[in-house]
Amino acid sequence: MTATAERTQPASDLELARAAAAGDTSAFESLYAQHHRRVYSLCVRMLGHTSQAEDLTQEVFLQVYRKLGSFRGDSAFTTWLHRLTVNQVLMHFRKRGVKLEHTSEEGDFTNVVETPIQSTRRISMVDRLALEKAIAELPPGYRTVFVLHDVEGYEHEEISGLLKVSIGTSKSQLHKARMRLRELLTK
Amino acid sequence: MIMVCTQCQELLSDYIDGTLELGEQAHIERHLSDCEPCRAMRDDLLQIVHFSHRLPEHAPSAALWARIESDLAKEQPIGFKARAAAFWLRLRERHFNLSIPQMVAAAAAFVIVISVSVIAFRRDTISTSNTLAESMHVSPGQVQPLANPDMEQLEQQINQLSETVEQKKNAWNPELRAAFERNLLYVNQSLVECRHQLSDNPSDDVSQELMLNAYREKIRLLEGFKSF
Repeated sequence: MTATAERTQPASDLELARAAAAGDTSAFESLYAQHHRRVYSLCVRMLGHTSQAEDLTQEVFLQVYRKLGSFRGDSAFTTWLHRLTVNQVLMHFRKRGVKLEHTSEEGDFTNVVETPIQSTRRISMVDRLALEKAIAELPPGYRTVFVLHDVEGYEHEEISGLLKVSIGTSKSQLHKARMRLRELLTK
Repeated sequence: MIMVCTQCQELLSDYIDGTLELGEQAHIERHLSDCEPCRAMRDDLLQIVHFSHRLPEHAPSAALWARIESDLAKEQPIGFKARAAAFWLRLRERHFNLSIPQMVAAAAAFVIVISVSVIAFRRDTISTSNTLAESMHVSPGQVQPLANPDMEQLEQQINQLSETVEQKKNAWNPELRAAFERNLLYVNQSLVECRHQLSDNPSDDVSQELMLNAYREKIRLLEGFKSF
């Protein structure tokens, strides 16, 4: 890397976090600029609508500000921020009494009936907007697992820890979410 | 055992995610090879998974940051605000002497950086060094840069001023120390660039002049901070 590039290399997340924890608001603004879209996108998709996503994003960054002093850099800042965001959304669900659908490991469905699909009707081409709309139409529990796994890349072990369900339940809900999306996209 | 569609479709997500054991995987593949509806379902789920990994990010409204900033202002303790206000007040009383050397040093360093960068763009490659000491090393057989008594005198002056500033630095507040380090970094990086230019082109008048300017700026920076 040339000396010129070294001079212009942006500060790392850890450096910004430390500066922000020490009271540097411009460092905090830099962190916001770099990460706010991801946080907001996660809120929108887990909530299924945009109306409360901004409020939740605002709450997330307030929590980030309060907890920056406890960020030691053991994990990547993005990982820490992501977890904090997911926890905020789940707390939001709990406060509002949003019930996440559960299936037992044996496969007893609470409110979802699935029958094997014999039709050869297929999704012709996945349209991103249609996919986003379909994700928003998923029941909250399915949507949560789907967004965490397929959109955000969490493993089932992590999801089971976050949602306090078994790995089998997480896998089952993911499958149900995918099947429901397929139905929505072939309408 | 022959797998039926119900069983296959129940396992399709695990199959797509690669979490099935080999035996089950083979079982599903045998069923898929003979079953068009299940194949159609598999392909649809693959599409959904593929595109879900690639969904674009959304952006909130521009007003969100303003709301967050307002929250942060309320978060800061009263004592902090009072201390910050008092600190800036003290700086302003002395700031006439503090800010001008800082601004001059920063502006001069910026001009030097831009000038050297323009020259650097004209060259094919530039080797890099992080310390001024490393850049001063001249390997045996290499042509020495043109000796310049002005540069030697300036270097001596820099060394003396640096020693003085180093002794005073420990008594500075963190903001002052950070400002000095930041400006010193810019100036030193300019010096490294100039030295590289000179070592490659010892007779280059422009490089020599830039080198001298960089030395003078460093002296101005050190003299400015020497008084604190």
